[in-house]
Amino acid sequence: MNGTKNEIKMGREAILQSIKENKPDLLPMPTVNVEAFAEDLNILEVFKNNIALVGGNIKQIEKKAIDTEVKTIYSKAKRIVSTSSKTALGTVKISIDTDPHELEDIDLAIVEGEFGVSENGAIWVTAENSIVRALPFITNDLVIILEKDKLYLHMHQAYDIISQRNRSFGVFISGPSKTADIEQCLVVGAHGAMSLTVLLV
Amino acid sequence: MNHATKAKEFNKDESKVNWHDKALWYVREKRDKSAHSIQGWEYLRELGSAIKANVLSNLDEYLVEFESNAQKNGIHVHWASNAEEHNNIVNSILEKHNAKRVVKSKSMLTEECHLNPFLEKKGIEVIDTDLGERIVQLAEEPPSHIVLPAIHKTKEQVDELFQEHLGTKPSQGNPEYLVSEARKHLRDKFLKADVAITGVNFAVADTGGFVVCTNEGNADMGVHLSKVHIACMGIEKIIPKEKHLGVFLRLLARSATGQPITTYSSHFNKPEEGKEMHIVIVDNGRTEQLSREDFRASLHCIRCGACMNTCPIYRRSGGHSYDYTIPGPIGSILSPGKDLKKHSSLPFASTLCGSCSNVCPVKINIHEQLYKWRQVIVKEEKQPVVKKSILKVAGIILAKPSLYGFAGKSARFALKHLPKFMIYNKLNAWGKARDLPEIKNENFDEWYKKRNKNG
Repeated sequence: MNGTKNEIKMGREAILQSIKENKPDLLPMPTVNVEAFAEDLNILEVFKNNIALVGGNIKQIEKKAIDTEVKTIYSKAKRIVSTSSKTALGTVKISIDTDPHELEDIDLAIVEGEFGVSENGAIWVTAENSIVRALPFITNDLVIILEKDKLYLHMHQAYDIISQRNRSFGVFISGPSKTADIEQCLVVGAHGAMSLTVLLV
Repeated sequence: MNHATKAKEFNKDESKVNWHDKALWYVREKRDKSAHSIQGWEYLRELGSAIKANVLSNLDEYLVEFESNAQKNGIHVHWASNAEEHNNIVNSILEKHNAKRVVKSKSMLTEECHLNPFLEKKGIEVIDTDLGERIVQLAEEPPSHIVLPAIHKTKEQVDELFQEHLGTKPSQGNPEYLVSEARKHLRDKFLKADVAITGVNFAVADTGGFVVCTNEGNADMGVHLSKVHIACMGIEKIIPKEKHLGVFLRLLARSATGQPITTYSSHFNKPEEGKEMHIVIVDNGRTEQLSREDFRASLHCIRCGACMNTCPIYRRSGGHSYDYTIPGPIGSILSPGKDLKKHSSLPFASTLCGSCSNVCPVKINIHEQLYKWRQVIVKEEKQPVVKKSILKVAGIILAKPSLYGFAGKSARFALKHLPKFMIYNKLNAWGKARDLPEIKNENFDEWYKKRNKNG
């Protein structure tokens, strides 16, 4: 094992040395002028359009209508995990100690998103939102609840918002999982969620 | 076998080539639409290029910064000078956990290092979980495109492969059915996997975190269900600051498939409680490429595949004709640096039209580098006798106007009066599938003088 460790150490030093010898003179790091990306548009409407473009459903509803809406769309869902306090539909309780393998046959997961990005329909979902990281991926269908005033124009603003977060795991989710690997035919529902419904409240 | 010979193979099935050509051009068109729907696209490309240039000029510092930040978050960092070291490191992690079942999401680096056969020889099951990669894995072929690995396969071929390996019913290539069967098959693999291996799209120096992008969710399914995550990255995947992800994530998917962003852009900073996260940082020829002033910008590449989709040669010759892990224009400027002799035909697999450079999200001057590699290659590699002698003769003729005029006259006379078999033969590669244009009696110079005289 010592031998392996030495080799690995050698790899590191050799690589760094080789870079030092071969790299060009220092070039400046550009500053990103975010104003160049400003657009005067209705970010709510663009966000809605982009959710549809990436294969998701989006509904703008009252907070109190969440349960009724979810029951209507996913009437057959029995095993439901909710990590949101905004709904009482959860039937399976999870904690950070839950083995993700137990979530294999979850019909529906309901999580809250932190904010949405108008330009691409992406929603930031953190490990804290999901409790178990696998949840939004392994579930058959996914509902993300998002507050309608938490929408931003583009990714530059998004990274500003999350710059002070506690960094563990987080994911931008844009639509349901999909693939076009068979003759470029778009099929929704690859390995992750088969459908995504975004509830703007 | 050189590119042209392999391309000939691919061109045997004309309808398939036509489909391949059109399918990729369609992706290119989607890229255009998507790129131009946002404000400041060209500025984004400039930023992407300038950030990557800064990265290369300060790469050692950024890597050390990345390592130290990653370690602070409990991530194990390994360094590998070459493919062999990389494979040994991965294997030693698997051994430590007594892992027998590995699920892998897309990583061109592990393809480059031939990790799968290495691990399989040691009795480890390695399953590629991206659908396109799973298809080519079952077919025992390499990917033919870095974003669309099975673009060379018809749905009927996938149907047959699945019948043989997954026991599916014949479906005449029904994509919905085939995807749903693949989902079941791979879900079982995810649930049973000991270790997940992923690539890295971007590694962030100032946070020690990294981002993996997929549409299928296969990287996340693997990582979050396994107890160990190994992420493998080339040294050039580093970006200085997390906020630069704003630039690169806006560029990547739009350039690749025309989507505004991939379905999942997963940000890994810390392992989940009770789990392990490893990063293997790999050189494997990259620092050598860094030393070549004319070619170092090839290391800007973010692996979007836009240069392939737009390339008239790639679209009509298929990814396998390049016989290199990364095909297409970008592969043709990366590969000669790895093995000049083996890949010496690739820089010639281009019309130098420049379309690749025009779509590259990080503004690599691909077509100029292709031209520069040609100059290196003709100096260092033996050229075919025919090409060499023709160019020599052309050099003499073009240097003397009187000789040029005479040669032109003779050629026009010959082309008009010689029998067909003497014109369309091995020396005339252009005329293989085409007729020469109608031969006029005069050259441009004569025509121009006459035109001036007639006023």
